[in-house]
This record gives sequence, C-alpha cells and structure tokens, in this order.
Amino acid sequence: MNDLHGIIFAYRQNPDLRELAQRRNTCSIPYGGRYRLVDFALSNLVNAGVSDVGLIVHTSYQSLLDHVGSGKDWDLSRKHGGLRILPPFGFSGMHQSGHYRGRMDALAGVYSYLQNIRQDHVVLTSGDLAANLPIAEAFEQHLQSGADITALCTPVSQADPRMTNYFTLDSGGAVTDILVSPPVPKGDASLETYILSKALLLNLVDRCAAHDIPSFSQGVLLAARGRLKLRGYRFDGYAARIQSVAGYFQRSMELLDPQVRASLFRPGRPIKTKDQSNPSTYYGPEARSANSLISDGCIIEGTVVNSILSRGVRVEKGARVENCILMQRTSIQSDAVLRYAITDKNVRVCPGRMLMGHGTYPLVIAKNEIV
Amino acid sequence: MLLAGGQGSRLMALTRKVAKPAVPFGGKYRIIDFPLSNCVNSGIDTVGVLTQYQPLELNAYIGNGQPWDLDRSDGGVHILPPYVQEGDKGTWYKGTANAIYQNLSFLEQYDPEYVLILSGDHIYKMDYSEMLLHHRQTKAACTISVMEVPMAEASRFGIMNVDENDRIYEFEEKPKKPRSNLASMGIYIFTWSKLREYLIADEADEKSANDFGKNIIPAMLDAGETMSAYRFSGYWKDVGTIDSLWDANMDMLSADGGFNLYDPDWPIYARAAAQPPHFTGANAEITHSIVTSGCGIYGKVENSVLFHSVTVEEGAQVRYSILMPGTVVKAGAVVEYTIVAERGSIGAGAHVGSAPTGGEDWGITVVAQEVRVGSGSLVPAKAMVTRNVKGVKI
Repeated sequence: MNDLHGIIFAYRQNPDLRELAQRRNTCSIPYGGRYRLVDFALSNLVNAGVSDVGLIVHTSYQSLLDHVGSGKDWDLSRKHGGLRILPPFGFSGMHQSGHYRGRMDALAGVYSYLQNIRQDHVVLTSGDLAANLPIAEAFEQHLQSGADITALCTPVSQADPRMTNYFTLDSGGAVTDILVSPPVPKGDASLETYILSKALLLNLVDRCAAHDIPSFSQGVLLAARGRLKLRGYRFDGYAARIQSVAGYFQRSMELLDPQVRASLFRPGRPIKTKDQSNPSTYYGPEARSANSLISDGCIIEGTVVNSILSRGVRVEKGARVENCILMQRTSIQSDAVLRYAITDKNVRVCPGRMLMGHGTYPLVIAKNEIV
Repeated sequence: MLLAGGQGSRLMALTRKVAKPAVPFGGKYRIIDFPLSNCVNSGIDTVGVLTQYQPLELNAYIGNGQPWDLDRSDGGVHILPPYVQEGDKGTWYKGTANAIYQNLSFLEQYDPEYVLILSGDHIYKMDYSEMLLHHRQTKAACTISVMEVPMAEASRFGIMNVDENDRIYEFEEKPKKPRSNLASMGIYIFTWSKLREYLIADEADEKSANDFGKNIIPAMLDAGETMSAYRFSGYWKDVGTIDSLWDANMDMLSADGGFNLYDPDWPIYARAAAQPPHFTGANAEITHSIVTSGCGIYGKVENSVLFHSVTVEEGAQVRYSILMPGTVVKAGAVVEYTIVAERGSIGAGAHVGSAPTGGEDWGITVVAQEVRVGSGSLVPAKAMVTRNVKGVKI
C-alpha cells in the first residue's frame, strides 16, 4: 500500500466566478472540454498511487457529488479506503457555525476522519487547480529531504497574487521566505499542494484549533518559519488556477496551445473523468472546425473557430461559434452567431441570435437558459 | 450467452491478434459492445461471454464489466473459456451448441427460466425483452429472431419457413431456391429446460456438428417443438467481411443510414480511453466524418471514421476510410477506401488505397495492426498489408 493519503479541499466559494459558480462548487466547473476541475486533483493523486482520498466539501456540492459518484472512474471505489466525501455536518464539533473560514477550519471539521487515516503521510491539495502534478516525485523528494512540509510551487504563474502565497527558495530548495497574498508577487507561487506527515498534520490542526486560527497560511506557513523545515518542490509544467470568469476564459483558451496540452495531458499520467458513454463527434457535410478542442458526442454542422466544446454540444447549420466555451449539451441553433461567450450546461441559443462578449469580459449564459 | 469465440477469418489481417468481437467499430466501440449494450438496455443482468480464439484483448476489454454496469455481486458478466474437465474430457468448443453444452454447469448455477443466445459479431439495436415477451406469449420452446431480406439475397442466409402465425415449420440453411425471405439473425431464446434436453441429446450424437443452425434447430423441428419466429425490422448488419465492416462503419456516419448512435434512449456503452478532447488545427477540414477524443486533425478528412488518438498531419488527406486507435497519417499522405488497424502508420507522401474503379480487382485496402507504410510508397486497392512497407525517397 502506498504510504500517502490524499485530501482535496473542495469547499471554496468564489464570487468572481459569477454564473459559473452560482449553482456549483468551483471544483466542478467544466474545464478543457470534457473535464471538471476536480478531475485534475483526483487524477494526480491516483496517478501517484494514492488509494485513499478525502474530498472536503461544504456548500453547493450537488454537482460535485454527481460528478465523482462512488469514485469508480478514478478507480477509487474500493472495499477499504477509496474516495470519501466529507460534508460539513458529518462530525459534531465546535466549528459548525457557518462556512469554513480556511483550510485549518475545514480540517478541524473532519477531525475524526483525519485520526483514522491509515497512511503515515498526507498530501493536501486543492480541487480547483488544473495541473498534471508529479505528486509521486514530490513525495519521493519529501521523504529524502527530511522536510517537515514540502510545498509544491511554480516559477510561472498567472494566478491573482492577492489570492496566492509565494515562496522564496534557496538553491537547495529550502523555503527562506513566505509571502501571503502579497500585492506584488515574489518567488515561486504556491500550487496549494503540501505533503506532510499525518502526525504533524494532526498536531497542526490541534494547535490552530486551540488558537482559533482558521487559515493554513497563517496557522501553518507563517507560524512554521524557524520552527519547521519547509521545502519547495518546483513544478514547471502548466498550472491553471481558476479564480474569475476572465481568468477562466484565458486559462481555457490557453489549452489551444499544443505545448499547454502536452503538459496537462501526459500519456503516463492520464487525467480521468466521469465516463458518459458518448459516441464520437460527428461533422456534417458543411462543417468547419479550426483551432478548436472538441469533446466526444458533439454534432457539428456549422462553423467552430478558436473554441472549446464539452460533450454533447450541437452546432447547427449556418451557426458560427468563435472564441467560445460551450459546456455540455449546449445547443447553438441554425445561423446563430456567438463570439467570446461561455455557455453553461444545457444552454440553448435559438436560430439567428447573435451574442458577443469580449476577451476581457466574456459573456456568460447560465445553466439551462434559453436565449 | 454471447458467442464470442469465432476467429472471423474473413476479416483477415484485422483478426490476426484479436477475436472478431473485439475488432474496433464505429469510432468508439468494439463489435461486442452492440450485443452487450442491447443486453443491458433490455434489462439482462447476467451474461456469459464464450471465448476461444485470441481471447486476451477481449478479456481485458470486458474486464469486470463496469462500462456496461455488469460489475454485479449477483450475476454480471462472466468470461467462459473452454477448460479441462475431469478425466481430460474438456475440448475446444467444437461448435456453437457444444460451446453452450460445455457451460451447462454455468447455466445450472443460475438456473434461469429462459436463455438468450447471441453472436458477438452483429451491429444492431434490439430490445430482447420484447422478444422474450413474444416467446412467452407463443409458449414456444425456441424463438428465433428473423428479418426480411431481399428475395434475391435469401440464398445467402439461413431461411425460416413459417405458417400464418409465424410458427416455424422448416429451416433451410442457405437454400438454393428459397421459399421465404425470413432470414435468421442468429439470435435465439430457448426455454431453459428444452435447451438443456436438446443440448445433451445433441452431444450424445457423434455425427452431429454441434451447431445450433445445423443440428439443434432441425432436431427441435423434427420433434415437433413449438418454434416461433420473432420479426425484427431495423438496422442489422453482419460485419463478418472486410466489405461489410467498411460498409457498416460508413452507415454510422448518418442517422439516415438507419442507425443512430446519438439516441439517448438506447445508448451503446464502451470502455473508453482516457483521452483529452480532439483538436482541430487551423487548416483542418473535416466533413461528413466522425472523430473521437485524443485525435489531432491538421489535414483533410472526408467521409471517414476516426477512432481515438488518431493523428492526421497537415496536408494529409483521408477519404472514405476507417482509422483505428492510434493511427498516424503523416504529412501529405493520401489514404482512401482503406481500413487502418490499431497503431498503423502511413508515411509522408504515401498513397494508400484508391477510389472504386468498378473493376473486379478493386477492393478496400487493409493495413494490419502496427504496420508502418513507408513514406512515398504506393499501396494499391484491395491490398492486405501485414508487414511494414519500405519507404521510397521522394
């Protein structure tokens, strides 16, 4: 058995995601056509040989539960261990008043689950990060370096600095400085993925609870300086954090770059998602598709340019879709024109409609709406 | 009970390493997905898959049956290979009836009321529960699914002669002068007690070929059992030959062809590869084709079926072809009227296959699994390429 346990934080609410996160958790936002954000965290853990995963959720998690199900699509439906969904009211404790204020609050909320972890080490990761992380290698480095906490970080990041932590690493990889949500970034951006021992984790949760410190950045990272050996594991592949609608749009469009896709979709570390038994995508006699990423089960009879289509999307004859993200079962009817639009699940755009946003402010059409 | 042990020798190079039911079909599927999905959609939750020829890939594909919801604690999918029996009595499956006979103890475990026998090489959608209802209403010992075929072609099939109540009174295997156009589809429902009785009797007859069509059905007719024909109309295709496999794949390109893969009420399930969505390059041209996840299309694709992870490079042209998983068509190559099996590679500037000429020597070209066709080489129509073809300097 692999000696690493996975915990995915999937409770964060993000008002900057507007309609996209209105009825769902950030982690279940569709991304890259056929995926949901949480697929990356789940696949990263599974690809590192992690067999037990806890998924901490708080609100609006219906869509997330729907997606992960029993975990069988990630081979996490197991007799022992496997995927455990950890909703907020699973345990009685003192932190049940309202929302989790931070990751330490969330961990305290699932304290008895933490106590029963079978593995000696735990990787904490975030369900809203799209990256193909080599967690097995980071774990290896963690064990060899003798670090108390290993933080995965990246020298290249487009994340919003006000929502990100930064580490300054020395040549040996030790963290020499930590900036928490600074106005100006400096050093490597945190990928919000940390490896530490179970014993240390329980200890930290206890301490933070006793001092009523809900935040991991405050209670662990800043408090660790000088007391714990904190090391960085530098990941230089592609990593996207989804923090706003404009950011979502940009991070999605980056997938049209073959190098980004090569970094995110590696043959040895596949990203798995819920199987929906879709047939292949059909292109009609007058179809045109250029510089686009198209999932299975679509029927394309119109024109699609610079766009990303989820599963089961229809683009009828004469319709034109440019620089758009069309989520599951969107239907663009004949002669409609869309530019810089994000259509959520089951949106229908009736014949001849014209909808246009802009690259910096894409138009979002909420789930199930009919235009 | 799904008969999936046949070699499918008429598919030649395509079944060198896999059994016919495991041959990829329709972009996302293998042939066996169709009968298997029909079972599940009809509410059947216990399926035996009888394997014999090249079973490894088929076994791995079916696995625990999860993609078809057949990973069950009670029932589910069972792979049934021939096995050694007490006193060295076990043999290879000698015929379709013998294959079921050798698994009588499997059937006895479940002791069903009725047994459905299917072949693993047909493309169709059928609700077997309606056929079962027909079987029960007619109180038949055996019900055989039939469909009308053009009279001119009837002599290629097993033909059922029926009375006005669709009760079968005679069965003729490939008759020279057919008296009816009702062809057997190789789908049988038996009342279990009757099936058991006739299988045991058939096995005792040393002269028997142990085949359902040749032996069991005639024996039951001779004995005066109630044999009922269940009429089916709709898309049904035997994909036993290169031509029919190519044809049936082309049928998947339009719902007008009679088969709609996009029907949410009768999904066809498959074990899918974990591949990202397919990418279409800036100069890609794809028309009247199906394309699957993991593909990268930079050239021109017309009237073709592309399975997962196929690459068509810039300037390459693919027409009326079937490219199975992992095929690479290099820049400037032309592939037409061709089936390329898994992980085949067509070199830059090569030309494989040709448009129909109407002549006798024209046919679909086949490139076998993992075969590399070198750059600049010319592969004619009807060729069966089973070894790497050297490239030529262009």
